[in-house]
Amino acid sequence: MGISVKLDRVMLDRGMSLTELSERVGVTIANLSILKTGKAKAIRFSTLEAICKELDCQPGDILSFDEQ
Amino acid sequence: MRAIGKGSLASILAVGLHVTRIILWIALGGVAIAMAVIPFVPFLVGAFTGSDHVDINGDGGIELSDFFEVAYAFVTFAVMLFVVNRLLEILKTLRFGSPFVKENADRFRSLGYALLIGEGAKFVFGFLSLVFDADIDINFSVITWLAIIAVLVLAEVFREGARMKEEQDLTV
Repeated sequence: MGISVKLDRVMLDRGMSLTELSERVGVTIANLSILKTGKAKAIRFSTLEAICKELDCQPGDILSFDEQ
Repeated sequence: MRAIGKGSLASILAVGLHVTRIILWIALGGVAIAMAVIPFVPFLVGAFTGSDHVDINGDGGIELSDFFEVAYAFVTFAVMLFVVNRLLEILKTLRFGSPFVKENADRFRSLGYALLIGEGAKFVFGFLSLVFDADIDINFSVITWLAIIAVLVLAEVFREGARMKEEQDLTV
């Protein structure tokens, strides 16, 4: 149970690489990798906003709540 | 004064602690040898002087109280060495720029427990000194107990600090 991150799926749909997203959002590849692999403990609104803007999506497209 | 690097308080403390560690190792070794040798002293004295009878309870001989005094010194030096080693490990993490780690919280806690054992040993040996008439000082020091509590509180502060640092590191 918890929050799962679907960033890799959205990135795949948009055809955007981690390096490209990192440059556009202004977050290091290491930090984006932490987010992508689900190791992140928190995400700033500013980071979420920038990611959603660059990937043209909603926060719900990246994050979801799993019961199991 | 800088927190880390050459000429910093941490580096000066590290040098002082390294020197103290060497002195403590020598002292501990000396006391360990004394502990091992004490039971055989009457026989050694007898062997060297040619005397068949050495009074181990006489004024000039070795008494059980002497053994307790040496054993107490051994425990004290061992605790001091343990404390110095933990402090050096903590300073090492500071030098590498990451003092807020769970390991340091554990180190501070073990440091507090070691001091607690040291104080406990003081009372145990103090009791033995009353029974066997050994010369061991057992004065109760409020400052020492407050220091032990302070170290244990610091351990919990470091544990929370480590948790916050981890959260900070994993915030994107």
